[in-house]
Amino acid sequence: MLDFAIYCLTIVAVWSVLGLSLNIQFGLTGLVNFGQILPFGLGAYAAALAAQAGMPWPAGAALGLAFAVVVSLLVLLPARRLSQDYWALITLGAGELFRLTALNAPALGGADGLTVPRFADPHLALACALALMAAAWFMAHRIARSPFGRMLKVLREDEVLAATLGRNPVTYQRTVSIIGWAMAAAAGVLYAHIVGYVSPSSFTVTETFIVWTALILGGPGSTLGVVIGAAAVQLLSVSSRFVAGWIDLPADVLANGRLALFGLVLVLMFLFRPQGLIPETKEVRDAERH
Amino acid sequence: MKKILSLAFCSALALAAVQGPARAADPIEIGVIANLTGSAVKTSVQMTRGVELAADAINAAGGIDGRPVKLIVEDSENRAQEALNAANKLYNVDKVPAAIMFGGSGLMIPVAELAKEKGRVLVNTSSSSPKLGNYPGTLFSILPLDDIVGKELGLLMADSGAKTAAIVVPNSTFGLGVAEAAAAAFEAKGGKIVKKVAFTEGQPDYRADIQPVVPAKPDVIITAGYGDDSRAMLKAARELGLTAKWYAAYPSILEIENKDFLDGKLFGVDNGGYSQPAGKAVADKYGAKFNGTADLMAHVYYGYDALMVVAAAIKKAGSAEPAAIAKALPDVVKAYDGATGKIAWDARGQRIAPPIDVIEYKAGDFVTTATRN
Repeated sequence: MLDFAIYCLTIVAVWSVLGLSLNIQFGLTGLVNFGQILPFGLGAYAAALAAQAGMPWPAGAALGLAFAVVVSLLVLLPARRLSQDYWALITLGAGELFRLTALNAPALGGADGLTVPRFADPHLALACALALMAAAWFMAHRIARSPFGRMLKVLREDEVLAATLGRNPVTYQRTVSIIGWAMAAAAGVLYAHIVGYVSPSSFTVTETFIVWTALILGGPGSTLGVVIGAAAVQLLSVSSRFVAGWIDLPADVLANGRLALFGLVLVLMFLFRPQGLIPETKEVRDAERH
Repeated sequence: MKKILSLAFCSALALAAVQGPARAADPIEIGVIANLTGSAVKTSVQMTRGVELAADAINAAGGIDGRPVKLIVEDSENRAQEALNAANKLYNVDKVPAAIMFGGSGLMIPVAELAKEKGRVLVNTSSSSPKLGNYPGTLFSILPLDDIVGKELGLLMADSGAKTAAIVVPNSTFGLGVAEAAAAAFEAKGGKIVKKVAFTEGQPDYRADIQPVVPAKPDVIITAGYGDDSRAMLKAARELGLTAKWYAAYPSILEIENKDFLDGKLFGVDNGGYSQPAGKAVADKYGAKFNGTADLMAHVYYGYDALMVVAAAIKKAGSAEPAAIAKALPDVVKAYDGATGKIAWDARGQRIAPPIDVIEYKAGDFVTTATRN
């Protein structure tokens, strides 16, 4: 049981980092990234490729971060002159492009995937995941509280307003993307070493929307909220397996019921608490008085 | 957040406390992991039903040394992450010694990594990736390796007098594995591959993928696949006016889109066990439990055999410890005559030399025209 708890916590921590990364992109800046799985996949594949080439894990980690930064700039290139709706389409497409490339390129293992050295000790995996989550949390928190973060919120609410204040929206979006994608890539590197294997089927659009679910559930813009959202999504999925075990119905009916229940909880949440579990707090400052 | 987490753990621990130490009449719990939601559901449900039929048969005969078999079925949602969640629950919480799994290599390999770390048994009923050979003593395959079935398919094509062939397969380990082995055997007999198409699964229409095959005018087409993808693939071929004969690995798992289009033009090789008495008996049990055999697919037999060999290994070892099961498995399969015929494993626990049936599709039925091995 303890092993299972350790595993669940590890997974929650990894997905929290993905959620925190999406939060600074969407929650703070309003960038609709429907390809959030892309930097995660880049990190995982970099770790796998480095391992295949006989390089130590830090090389894979460095490679993963570098990939993510370069690709984020590439994806940003066509997106920077377009509005947010197009940003969603471009990132969605980029994520699928990556998955299909990995599926069809023999050098990337194709459908068979690549094997990665696993953490020998689950405790170490948990410690690394928690450390990464703490680092991501700290960074996200600092960004949210800084003048930079406040300008991101201005950008989210009104790009024109930000421009009238003499700020270039593109510069801000680029910085946020680089930070967010590097964070997700770090999570990907870690994930590859936890699972011990990467394949294209792990990086589908579905996974992107699970991160989105965590973000919307927890409360976009709230650092604590997104971590709680990620924990809720993962733990709900796991705990419903135990509930299913108590009910005597055909396995396929139960499996569908489990997913339906998951969907129902989400719908009820969005109906009765659309601002998320931990809504973003509005900062009220009176500039005249200070 | 602390409150929520500690609550979650308390409830989880309470769950664990309910389970006590094993007694003689306690059921032996065996895990099943399958894509019960998501894509490729039908095949997974069929495999699960096969395992259930085996559990029914074992329990009706008084269980294994008096202990009944209890199945714990978990959904993988056809996602690697959920397959891992399911496997972690089965191996860490339910403490099953062995799990039977249906899923592609993308799901099977991470679970095999976990099973290896935990020292448990994983029985593969669906994936044929060569990478599965890397887990000897952990992973055992009931499904034969693709290269054997593919080779028989290639020889069958050459025997038919065909000179040129095109490949139309899904871009998956299964599709490519069959295609490569069939093409190699066909070319060794003097045949020529004139076009190769590996389509990405999950699309509604494959006309654009299959179009290049038409001008190549092959005598025969090598194919493999199942589910909606195979239906869409055959529909596109029919609409494009392809007249070549089709040679498929496991033709009975294809979804026939139009009976007339394929009548007398679809051939293939399949595992030869199903048509033998043991296989027929399983089909009868299936019909009795699930209202007829109209939807019966070959996966039922693989699921059935998977649990049967695990049960035989537990009985022989006199213990449900995973190490004892892994040790006994290669011995018990030698004497086992199952729904998928005799099982022979290589040193890695991968199935070799299955009995082969040569199949022809005639008037809406798959007819066995010859048997090999």
